[in-house]
Amino acid sequence: MNNGTILSGTNLSKKYGDLEVVKHVTISINAGEFVCLVGKSGCGKTTLLSLLSGLERPTSGQVKLDDTDITSATEDQLALFRRENVGFIFQSFNLIPTLTAWENVALPLFPIKMSGDERHRRATELLEKMELGHRMDHLPAALSGGEKQRVAIARALVNNPKVLFADEPTGNLDSSTGDAIMEILTKLHTEKGVAILMVTHEVELAKTAQRLIRMHDGEVVA
Amino acid sequence: MNLHYLMNELYYQKRRTITAIIGLSIGIALLIILNSLSMAYRQAAQVPLKEIGADITVQRPGDVPKELSGAVFPCSAVTISDEELKKIQPLPGVRGLGKAVLLWVFDPNRAWIVLGIEQQNPVGPSILRHSVTEGRFLEEGKVEALVEVAYARQFNLKIGDTITIANTTFPVVGLVDASRAAKIAVANVYLPLAEAQKLAASSSQLQSVSPFGPNDVNLLFIKADQEKITWLASALKDILGKKATIGTPDSFLKLLGSLFALSDKFNLAASIIAIFVAVLIAFKTMAGNIAERAREIGVLKAVGWTNRNVVTQLLAESVVQCFIAGILGLVIAAIAAFALSFMKVNIPIPWDMSPTPHFLPGGGDQIFKTLRLPVHIPWTLATFATLLSVLIGGLTGGLLGRNISKIKPSEVLRHE
Repeated sequence: MNNGTILSGTNLSKKYGDLEVVKHVTISINAGEFVCLVGKSGCGKTTLLSLLSGLERPTSGQVKLDDTDITSATEDQLALFRRENVGFIFQSFNLIPTLTAWENVALPLFPIKMSGDERHRRATELLEKMELGHRMDHLPAALSGGEKQRVAIARALVNNPKVLFADEPTGNLDSSTGDAIMEILTKLHTEKGVAILMVTHEVELAKTAQRLIRMHDGEVVA
Repeated sequence: MNLHYLMNELYYQKRRTITAIIGLSIGIALLIILNSLSMAYRQAAQVPLKEIGADITVQRPGDVPKELSGAVFPCSAVTISDEELKKIQPLPGVRGLGKAVLLWVFDPNRAWIVLGIEQQNPVGPSILRHSVTEGRFLEEGKVEALVEVAYARQFNLKIGDTITIANTTFPVVGLVDASRAAKIAVANVYLPLAEAQKLAASSSQLQSVSPFGPNDVNLLFIKADQEKITWLASALKDILGKKATIGTPDSFLKLLGSLFALSDKFNLAASIIAIFVAVLIAFKTMAGNIAERAREIGVLKAVGWTNRNVVTQLLAESVVQCFIAGILGLVIAAIAAFALSFMKVNIPIPWDMSPTPHFLPGGGDQIFKTLRLPVHIPWTLATFATLLSVLIGGLTGGLLGRNISKIKPSEVLRHE
């Protein structure tokens, strides 16, 4: 692993039956780097993101985060790895509908032994940073799309992740809200130095990233 | 396990929570009420015997003399000899023995049903001392009579009068309202046991069909250990012959004829069906609930919840839900038990146990002991039902939670 590399995937392949959706991909992301993974729908971007984030196991190849090989980890070890190292932002927000905004943000902290006050403080702080201090006790159904995604970003940050994985984070938003979300991600990267791997098929959005990785038919092409 | 998350799930998903709770609570309520009803019928069946201070009554059927004159035995109760009594007394499980002699006395101008009783024995008809309406109860060592109040009214008999039964005169010392007491061994006149034994022993009519010694009787009342009643009933038949009539709570239960009273097997089967349906409803609702939440579970796992965290959360939800259902079931059952406790039950008293000559007024009428069904929920049953509902919650939540926790987050979160 090169100096500064926080996440790497070596010779990663993923097969579903006979269908190979990721083909011998080698990729690395440096600490604090903002990388965009672009390509057409169905080219394997989301699968690659799942492999790198530990949501899915590769058929072959190796994933390392901070020099730790996660490829052979058990399900529960992977869950703990995700809890301690990564954050996720999904296209459709994936908030829990029965939990309020602050509870959604604190969700990754629920299984961790800590005081309720500390949990609340961390969630509140992040929501205030997302300018959602006034929406803390609202259920997701009462929030707009942009607000939901900001809650999701706060949730992704609550465990101080080393890498943030964003899968089409603006895909369900109108362009102005999408721009606002991108602004937040950029700010996170520049101010906090969080490494970001973002999947998108919108080339314009990808321009905000420091590095662009193109995928085509399961392979990295550039 | 996060309690707030749990409560929110139950509160905000009202429809599925209510469906699961109501489904299971009805099953639990059915289980409780079926068992309470069964117990109530069992208790009711014990009342006729309890009212006479006994758990078992014993009689032996026999012949009636061709000519009905003087003192005779009814055909349902002929001699039980002193020797037989001596064999019965030491039987294991016998805690007390009450003796009586029931006679029909046909005098030229009047017919009497006479019962000779042990005045001081708490087992048997001496329990009538609590039903004396006027005068006093029979005293030990005195030759006197107690007259049933309706009979006294019919023949204008008063305290201080004398009555002559089979040529023996007795002063009337009290009136007794037998309708307030047991319906078993009801008579018009109550005498000391020794006097009734003398009447029986001196009757040639009676002796001609059923030889009777001075210490013999024709009715027995036994106070027994509850768990030995069935065994005792069989032992008594061994001593008195297969034709002996043994009255037990079970024989009264059979007379009730109620489906609940008829069979423990029916009750067990109905309870199992009620619980099976309840479990099915709880399982189906929770399975639907958990399947609907596959994506949510995927999110939990993606943000770092382990399988154990997920199972614990779902199990706790299920247990709390089923516990609430158990409590609701208990409340429903308590309301139903209260309503059912107003129901009256008529326990038929077999003619054999209170024989009246058919040619006398009311002689052929069926006698009933009417009482309110004593339906109540014992705390053991309530605790069992609540624990059962919690167990159902634990098993359902555990099984379904374990199953759903195995899903891969990437499968359910994939393309949105």
